[in-house]
Amino acid sequence: MAVKEKNILNRLYFIAACMFVFAIAVLVKLVNIQFVEGDMYRQKGQERVFKTFDIPANRGNLYDSKGNLLATSVPKYDIRFDALAVNEKDFRAHIKPLCEALSKEFGKSVSYYDKIIRTARSNKNRYLLLRRNLGYSQYMRVKKFPLFEFGANRGGLIVEQRTVREHPIGKIAERTVGYERRDEQGYYTRVGLEGAYGPFLRGKEGKRKKQKIAKNQWKPIGDANEVEPQDGFDVVSTIDVNIQDIAHHELLAQLEKFEAEHGTVVVMETKTGEIKAISNLGRTKTGRYYEKLNYAVGESHEPGSTFKLMTIVAALEDKVIDSSHVVDTEDGKVKFYDRTVRDSKWGGYGKISMAKAFELSSNTAFAKIIDQNYKNNPRKFVDRLINMGLGETLGLAIKGEGKPKIPYPGDDDWYGTTLPWMAHGYGVAITPLQTLAFYNAIANDGEMVKPRFIKEVKTWDKTRERFDKEILNPTICSKETAKIAQEMMKNVVKRGTADNIRTDNFGIAGKTGTCWGNYGKDKEREYISSFAGYFPVDKPIYSCIVVIHRPNKKKGYYGSEVAAPVFKTIATKIYNDIPVIDEVSYAVVESNAVVNSYDKYYQNAQKYKTIMPNVKGMPAMDVVALLENMGLRVKLEGVGKVKNQSIKPGTKVKINQTVRLELS
Amino acid sequence: MLLFLSFLAIIMIASSHNAESKVHEIAKLNNEVRELRTHFVDGKTELMRLKMESSIVKKMMQKGLKRPERPPRKIIVKN
Repeated sequence: MAVKEKNILNRLYFIAACMFVFAIAVLVKLVNIQFVEGDMYRQKGQERVFKTFDIPANRGNLYDSKGNLLATSVPKYDIRFDALAVNEKDFRAHIKPLCEALSKEFGKSVSYYDKIIRTARSNKNRYLLLRRNLGYSQYMRVKKFPLFEFGANRGGLIVEQRTVREHPIGKIAERTVGYERRDEQGYYTRVGLEGAYGPFLRGKEGKRKKQKIAKNQWKPIGDANEVEPQDGFDVVSTIDVNIQDIAHHELLAQLEKFEAEHGTVVVMETKTGEIKAISNLGRTKTGRYYEKLNYAVGESHEPGSTFKLMTIVAALEDKVIDSSHVVDTEDGKVKFYDRTVRDSKWGGYGKISMAKAFELSSNTAFAKIIDQNYKNNPRKFVDRLINMGLGETLGLAIKGEGKPKIPYPGDDDWYGTTLPWMAHGYGVAITPLQTLAFYNAIANDGEMVKPRFIKEVKTWDKTRERFDKEILNPTICSKETAKIAQEMMKNVVKRGTADNIRTDNFGIAGKTGTCWGNYGKDKEREYISSFAGYFPVDKPIYSCIVVIHRPNKKKGYYGSEVAAPVFKTIATKIYNDIPVIDEVSYAVVESNAVVNSYDKYYQNAQKYKTIMPNVKGMPAMDVVALLENMGLRVKLEGVGKVKNQSIKPGTKVKINQTVRLELS
Repeated sequence: MLLFLSFLAIIMIASSHNAESKVHEIAKLNNEVRELRTHFVDGKTELMRLKMESSIVKKMMQKGLKRPERPPRKIIVKN
């Protein structure tokens, strides 16, 4: 085809058109990216460079009532070793002393450390774990070890820091101090005081925008949206570490002695309801004990005889009996329908007063007297119990309080035997803390205070909130009834079931409980031994309950023999720590003779340091002090005042020189 | 005009540098606070362990001392 001018021109037009279309397409895409999708891309770019970080707030501390730390956040350090960072010369020179230092600090052999470090070096391991969870002071020591002292680059020391929650008292009160954990959904697991007062302790997270810089680091940048983290408040609890320590160790010793399944001890201040100690120990498979669950708060169980206090208070309040009311325990066996109530003493106690029945913890007497008086109107008795607050939880701050159970007439499981069995503590259920709150109310002349764990919320030394005693019920019973009940509890220890824990120093009042659990036919019997009470008798300061579940029957199971001794030791130890204060008025007796002789002594002591003074006529006791302070050795002959001295006044004396004094 | 602008630029650089060094200083002090805090907790923990009844009883046993059988008496003399 001949090349004509028109042909060329056509091709040119075609190419120009193509290029034009292409340019338009580019422009369209450009506009599209810039304006239509622009926002999205800009945001993506921002996200790569800027990021908002959460800054965790420092969690507040948990203190005991005396300012000891119960829980606090501390950094812990993991120590690792970069085996390639160290040069050959340093490595050879320091490997031996380093291994020796590690062995000395952490207890494993020198050769062990030598081996793992050398292996790491030959395997080119740059991240060899040496030790986890070092405390601060230990970490400081490790930092000064040979080789490590050269730091990260030359010495190969890698340190990683984490913040962990620490309980300085360790295993003691672990469950009560508790913890708080948050899962990914933001749901909190809250245990013990840490959980209960989490909202105070937690603080508020802060937010801060950071910009990406070199080496994958983020640099904070100033931004108006920034939120400063707010540290959590400190919480002062009512726990007293010393009492807690005593309670823990006494309970532990007794559980071990009786090979019991688990047990709990609570000590509470009578007037204010402050919980001073709460110890819960359960046995593991290996036979050791640790704080497994908060039994005192959570475990609602049949109380057995400790419930007789509630029964008798109810009966006294209803005025159906008085403490001198006589009841016949028959021969220690009384039949109600198809079931028999038995006394722990074979053959029974004969005819005794109700006060005596309480002291001796007679099951038959209680079952009979309640059955007789309330049989036709059991509702009256149960309502009385419920009015005294026994049917309800205490509303504790710690999660998981056990619900008490008081059967009600008309319930499906209400039988004719329910009432007499209730009277001596069976068929009802109550937690140790609820029992204690009731005993405390009796010690308090009828005023029921709420058991409390918190005293104060603070930031550093500034109080933010104070918590005072809370009264649940100002009068669960009349003052007269409370006094009668107090007297009966006093006699339990004085001459009743718990006379083995009687003390002469101060009085204990309380009630034993031996609950026979697992009482089906052909089942092995299990026991719950308990003792609840208060001390000292005349002016109650503390109330305390001890509950021990399933002691080894061969070793003993009575409340008086298993639980009461724990109560006694704890009470004795606590009582002996409270000083008895006597106030005496200052009696001024000034005698001239005393004043004169003191003046003379004082002048001589000031004047004579190396020269023998004239001591004739001075009392021997002054002279001895005077001369021995000068460094002389004094030998006395006779008694009274100085008649003759072996070194003449005015002579220079030497240290350790002997001087003989004749006295008359 | 140019002089003034460069003067402003110098001030800007100086102040941003200053701010950066403050950031570093804060980080350092924060670290120090954390270390002192642990030190404090370590000390307090140790003290508490030492003064707990059970550890004192153990130590005093070697010296032949026991818990008192009676509470201490405090005599306050009033003027």
